[in-house]
Amino acid sequence: MAQRMSKAQQQYQRKLKDAVHLLFFTHHKLPGVRGWELRKELGSDWQNVLEVLDKQLQPLDLQVTQVLDDPDIIEPTNAQLQDARYYITMRGTVTQKTAKTIGWRIDDIAGLAVSVAYIISKQGKSPRQDVERVLEEKLPGWRVKLNIDRYITQGYLGEDEQGILFLDWRSRAEIDSKKLVDLVVSYGKREQESA
Amino acid sequence: MSELESVIGLCRMVQSGKIEPFDIDFDYVMSVIQKHYPDIKNPRDFCMDAEALKELSLVLERQNQWIEHKSTTLYKDPFMLSQSLMALDIGAIADIFLRSWHPLVEMEQMSAATLAASLSYWGDLVPFAERWQDSEVEERETGVATRDEARQLGYLPEEGFTDIIEAFWRELGERVGPGGSIEYWDWIGADTYEQTVYRAYLTVFMVGYGYANATWDRMMDEYTIIHKETPEPNPEEAKISLSVLVDYEEWKLWRNE
Repeated sequence: MAQRMSKAQQQYQRKLKDAVHLLFFTHHKLPGVRGWELRKELGSDWQNVLEVLDKQLQPLDLQVTQVLDDPDIIEPTNAQLQDARYYITMRGTVTQKTAKTIGWRIDDIAGLAVSVAYIISKQGKSPRQDVERVLEEKLPGWRVKLNIDRYITQGYLGEDEQGILFLDWRSRAEIDSKKLVDLVVSYGKREQESA
Repeated sequence: MSELESVIGLCRMVQSGKIEPFDIDFDYVMSVIQKHYPDIKNPRDFCMDAEALKELSLVLERQNQWIEHKSTTLYKDPFMLSQSLMALDIGAIADIFLRSWHPLVEMEQMSAATLAASLSYWGDLVPFAERWQDSEVEERETGVATRDEARQLGYLPEEGFTDIIEAFWRELGERVGPGGSIEYWDWIGADTYEQTVYRAYLTVFMVGYGYANATWDRMMDEYTIIHKETPEPNPEEAKISLSVLVDYEEWKLWRNE
């Protein structure tokens, strides 16, 4: 019995390793793995494996993040979970000092924050000129165009052929939109109260 | 630009996010469409009328989405949000963003196994000088061969192609039973790679010509070949297109299993 248990444990450990390899290493053009790919490699208990992996990543300040194709879905079906994309992201957040060391200028971070918050307020899409106009209030014009292009290349924003900007895959994977909007509004309220 | 074209343009501005969905007065747009309806004289006018109705229905859809969005916890008044953003200095905005940002972690790594496989590939790679060598062309006398001689030399099959496909279909029926199914590799797999390719090639035509069906399980990335009890052959018009899937490495794996 003891031997059988250890065999099962070994198998589970192997699945955890496979999950780590799938989620950490880049396999496709874009990072992340689809649910059905995980199911194919890890078997029918793939969701339990992810849960265990998520717990094991906790002390390292990392987590398994699930991004559904439709962000409005609250209780996804099995099929929607298999179509969802899974990533490893930081569990906690980054300080300004750390952000600088990973190549982000404070202006770039602020520009991204404003673009994302503005697009969220416009129900997920907005003409590029409108976003540029908002950013130009605080950033030099030449930087604004450059920054938006950079956000698009990095996958934070997408732009369709009519010049409409929307939130792309990286924003959905990395940014807690609700928290961002709440913080902006509450910060604004506090500023008003103190004035 | 006609009045109808202007309302179509107006409705499209909602789709592109240039104006808010509720900036459109539904009754007004509908009254314009109704006003022009009796004047429809040709198909172009009909198309314009249909286009206006379609665009207006898309506006209604966006209005519905707007209400749904408003009812979620994510909704904050856009004016209030933009005012808050404008009131904040760059440092504060960056700080807020960092508190809601969880960057992705991904790695790129070369493993010892990948390096070993690449080295082995490099070793087997034929140098360019050899690969691009001019082929030596030898002048040969031309001759004439009969159809039977061509068959004996293996240039022409012994039987007609349809006969081969039908024999193949019968073999499938014998193996899986009428209407039965079999996994793709179990069906095409043979002792040699050449035979496997040949069977995959015939399978393409057997499926395409209506002697068998093929289904693909996306989850398991597997094809299944299904025998058709009553074939509907029509070589003139292939019904289903199936790619020839005969990867050499996969064949080796299948044979070792």
